[in-house]
Amino acid sequence: MATTTPDAVVTTHGLTKRYPNGIVAVDGLDLVVRRGEVYGFLGPNGAGKTTTLRMLLGLIRPTAGSANVAGGSPGTPASLTKVGAIVEAPAFYPYMTGYDNLRLLAIYCGVPVKRVDSSLDAVELTPRARHKFSTYSMGMKQRLGIAAALIKEPEVLILDEPTNGLDPQGMADVRKLITELGQGDRTVLVSSHLLGEVEQMCTRIGVIRKGKLVAEGTIDELRGKSKLLIRAKPADQAMAVLVGECGADKVKANDDGAFTLSVEPARAAELNRRLVQAGLDVTELRETERSLEDVFMELTGTESGL
Amino acid sequence: MREYVAELYKTVRRPAVWVCVLVLLAIAITIGYAVPWLAETFAKTTQGLPPGTTLADLKVTLYPQNFVINTLGDPLGGVFALILGVLLQGSEYGWGTVKMLYTQRGGRVAMLFGKLAALATVVVLMVIGLFAVDAASSVGAALLDGKSIEFPAASQIVKGIGAMCLIFAFWAGFGFILATLFRQSAMAIGLGLAYALVIEGLIFGLGSALISSLKNVQQWFPIANTGYLTDSFGSVNIRGIRPPAPPFADATHAVLVLTTYVVVFVVISAVLVRRRDVTN
Repeated sequence: MATTTPDAVVTTHGLTKRYPNGIVAVDGLDLVVRRGEVYGFLGPNGAGKTTTLRMLLGLIRPTAGSANVAGGSPGTPASLTKVGAIVEAPAFYPYMTGYDNLRLLAIYCGVPVKRVDSSLDAVELTPRARHKFSTYSMGMKQRLGIAAALIKEPEVLILDEPTNGLDPQGMADVRKLITELGQGDRTVLVSSHLLGEVEQMCTRIGVIRKGKLVAEGTIDELRGKSKLLIRAKPADQAMAVLVGECGADKVKANDDGAFTLSVEPARAAELNRRLVQAGLDVTELRETERSLEDVFMELTGTESGL
Repeated sequence: MREYVAELYKTVRRPAVWVCVLVLLAIAITIGYAVPWLAETFAKTTQGLPPGTTLADLKVTLYPQNFVINTLGDPLGGVFALILGVLLQGSEYGWGTVKMLYTQRGGRVAMLFGKLAALATVVVLMVIGLFAVDAASSVGAALLDGKSIEFPAASQIVKGIGAMCLIFAFWAGFGFILATLFRQSAMAIGLGLAYALVIEGLIFGLGSALISSLKNVQQWFPIANTGYLTDSFGSVNIRGIRPPAPPFADATHAVLVLTTYVVVFVVISAVLVRRRDVTN
């Protein structure tokens, strides 16, 4: 179970969603998102990310467990007042302009209408604000969605796959915007199945697979410690030297004849010297780092979204 | 209150709502007054009329003293109210805006009541508009025919507006609950129209020919009660035409039954909206 800290803004305890057909979309999820962080909720398609976010917004009722979002139960006015969200594709009224759609939300939320202009400015949509939503491109719709999420000046932003359907420039723009929005005290919880995206935007990551949280931490924590890769000839003698220096449990022979050593990279010079002193030819010696992609595939057993 | 203002904000900006209301008013003028007046003024035959009754005699239904009865007899108004009810709720599912609505400050039930209040406002304005254009049309008919302009008593007009509001509220509520139930507009409009135009009429039309006691069952059904309510305002006296039989049940019965339907629709909609997951 995740430990609730005083600065936790989003917490779930054993959150579970089981559909009547028996499918368990989310299975005993324990999650803690702290104030001021950009938390990446990472998982392959169908892992339960959207169901979780919908439960955090009160759109879906959990079958078990509990959640607290910005000091209130999901879907209650106490929580909704402080939360801005985009769930999947942003949805607005197609017959109204972007401005009118945001003004409508300002009325719903009871916030000053002047926030409409500042929200539109924040997403650089002011020039198209007076055009009908139905004429917007996918990127503009997404940006309007973010503007709508911002109109309450929320403490917590919950964004479900905010770059879905965008072209590379649009994706870059949205990532930059989310990074900016996450500065200061505002907390951003963003789901994605795109590793690169999460790596660029997020300070901490939770990886979900088949409805369960399988890993959580900073990107560095998830990658784990760096290792050394050594290639030396003859390989059997190199193996003997390395095992003697580091211990058998720290040396792994790779299929391509190289060795991966689970030791501090600072030992590179020393190990090189030992191998040379033993009369071996060292052809490669470098520090290796697991990519987030490796970690993701290892944790989720998939290749989706890569 | 915020939810109500917001719902009105988007409702008045929606072209489909205006089209719905304006088409109803246009039909009320053309089918309710213009076409009958032209037919009863210029037709050359009296075939089908009772002996001694002229086309000019029929025109009495078009004059101001009978405009309340004529307006209440509008057979299509309920259908437009049904469509409005479906549009205001069903489109939220179609556009996916329901998830946006439910994640605003007020929550689900507040949104529902805001929307129902906006729907009620549109329905009341639609009824007032209908009475206004029918009154104006009846004045036009009277002026064209050189007849005096005498309106029914103000109390009769107010009662007529109230009765029509209740009838439209039933239909709008019926459309609203169908859209909520099916989470879409197409199915709701299809089923709603089928009920309005065919189902109840067919069941009791055919059934009462076979089972005489079916009237006792029919008195609890909505279309029968809209009929009892409109019939309670009486009928236009046309020379040579026998007035219809008095309604099976009185206005009080009709008001109670229709009000019960409206309340049940609201309660069921609230339960559905509150409890169901939003997955689209």
